[in-house]
Amino acid sequence: MGSLEHRAFLYDGTEDFLTGAVPFLRRGLEEDRAVVVVARAVNVAVLQEALDDCRNHIEFYQSEKFYEHPVRTLNQYQYLVQEKSPRRVFALAEPVWHGHEPRQLMEWIRYESLINEVFGDSGASALCPYDRVGLPPAIVEEARRTHPLLLTAGAARRSDRYVPPKAFGAGCDRGLRFDRPPTAEYLPLESDDLHELRAFVGERALAHGLDALAAGNLMTAVNEIAANALQHGTPPMGVWVWPDGDELLCEIGDHGFWRPESGALTGFLPPETALQRGFGLWTVRLLVDLLELRPGWDGTFVRLHVRRNARPGSHGDRKL
Amino acid sequence: METWYTKRAVSGVRPGDHGILPYSGPEERNRVMSTFMSDALGNNEKVVYVTDTEPERLPGIGPRTKLQLHGYTETRQLVVVRREDACLDSRGRFDPDKLVQTLRTELARTDDEGYRAMRWTTDNSWLLHGRIDLSQVIGCEHQIAGAVGPSTMVMAVCQVDRRRCPPDRYAALQDTHEVLIEDDPRFDDGTLKIVQTYAPPGLRIEGELDHARQTRFAEELAQICLLPGPVHIDMSRLGFLDLGGLNLLVQYAADRPGGDPVVLDDLPPNVASTIDLIGWHRMPGLIRGRDRRAGGEVI
Repeated sequence: MGSLEHRAFLYDGTEDFLTGAVPFLRRGLEEDRAVVVVARAVNVAVLQEALDDCRNHIEFYQSEKFYEHPVRTLNQYQYLVQEKSPRRVFALAEPVWHGHEPRQLMEWIRYESLINEVFGDSGASALCPYDRVGLPPAIVEEARRTHPLLLTAGAARRSDRYVPPKAFGAGCDRGLRFDRPPTAEYLPLESDDLHELRAFVGERALAHGLDALAAGNLMTAVNEIAANALQHGTPPMGVWVWPDGDELLCEIGDHGFWRPESGALTGFLPPETALQRGFGLWTVRLLVDLLELRPGWDGTFVRLHVRRNARPGSHGDRKL
Repeated sequence: METWYTKRAVSGVRPGDHGILPYSGPEERNRVMSTFMSDALGNNEKVVYVTDTEPERLPGIGPRTKLQLHGYTETRQLVVVRREDACLDSRGRFDPDKLVQTLRTELARTDDEGYRAMRWTTDNSWLLHGRIDLSQVIGCEHQIAGAVGPSTMVMAVCQVDRRRCPPDRYAALQDTHEVLIEDDPRFDDGTLKIVQTYAPPGLRIEGELDHARQTRFAEELAQICLLPGPVHIDMSRLGFLDLGGLNLLVQYAADRPGGDPVVLDDLPPNVASTIDLIGWHRMPGLIRGRDRRAGGEVI
């Protein structure tokens, strides 16, 4: 299909936004691409006005609904690309950077980086707007590291700070902290039968305010990681559960030394089918809000985060 | 879905059970009846079989039983009663009272004959064809239920060929039985139960399927996937399915000769939402089947 064109568009204010975004989208229409806009509500509104003559040929989505969960969002983009194939996609793709915990924010930045890997040969063109006026400078700085191409003040160029996804992910993982409160409840894993573990996790999930669906998803996720530990890990192994603010955390640890083959990309790349390697870990990422993996000298630890206040089941695919 | 009845694996049949065995072919009937008969003959229980079929050709009579058949009939541990003697009047018409009387007579003799219990069975399919007044059949079943229910010595299994029987008549007949008899599970460890189903062909998995039980599930799946045409996995009573189980389903579906699908029926909401999230396109060979919960029939 050709290689991806993944460009960060660093703009200052609405006028500058339109100066970069409108010609990009018009070029997509001229080249008969499948043109898609995923932007914050305010930017969708100004774009629809500016492109009034051709807005019916463009699909608009609101970022606030599209960017709810990194793995699901990436999945959603994959659907889009597959659905439009053989037409190539021309997308204006604006993530939501406000209202995240630091750890979740890092995950979203990481996903910008993963785009390069997942859509590497999709032939798609993506322009990702970053509002230099409204965003913290650190976010804009990260955009230069996650996008190989830049558009600033009307000038298109390569980003000299770009870091390829695998190396970028490794950098993210280095910063992980794995403190655990002494009050965390612990269940040792001593047999192949995970029935007791599921009951342990399920009870605590419900007690800490997860709804039935989220509790079920967490049980499936923990079960999968524990089954992996039983299969490949080294005893002793066990599971800790504890609440942390508005999250419930669940950590599965064993004392095996695991060096994932695909390094920092492990479980991040969507598998083509359930038969592909990495399907389990990727699905776990899909089922929980955040997965952190720490393969260290003292063992392998997988930490799952789930929000306690249940979100509506929207998958962010609502077209405008 | 009706839930008034108790589903019972054939080897769990107990005195007082008035059960119906709806079968969908000779294979299913033979398997169930074989267990029913050998459990009786091996446990000092008497079998009374109302049929016009010769003893050696009865469903479920395996080669080993066949060898000892003469002994069983001689000692009246196996009593084959022809229809004309059991339930037809002098003009060859169905006589419900006579059938009930036959049962009562055989039951009364059981103790004296030295058997600890009596198993009564007959194939009722011929009664449902249309010419016979259904209310007569229903009345008869009620009487049999009345004789069996309070007894501590008799268990009855009425066989019905589902394919040959109009649905409304079948439903009316089933209503007169308290127990639905089915084949013994292929596997049951208290957490997971795997039952073979015949119509549609496939498996019903109940309870929880996880890592510890995958090997057994894989074995059963491998067998069932050799059958031609779509095979169905009934998940209506499944509480948990792990990702490894999902992976197995895709694996075996992908290897099916002829590319026939594996159909997932009555997906529990949590499993359905997981697959929806993953995307059905990542599950080649699996399709979503009927959903009785939603009231709609997809397949």
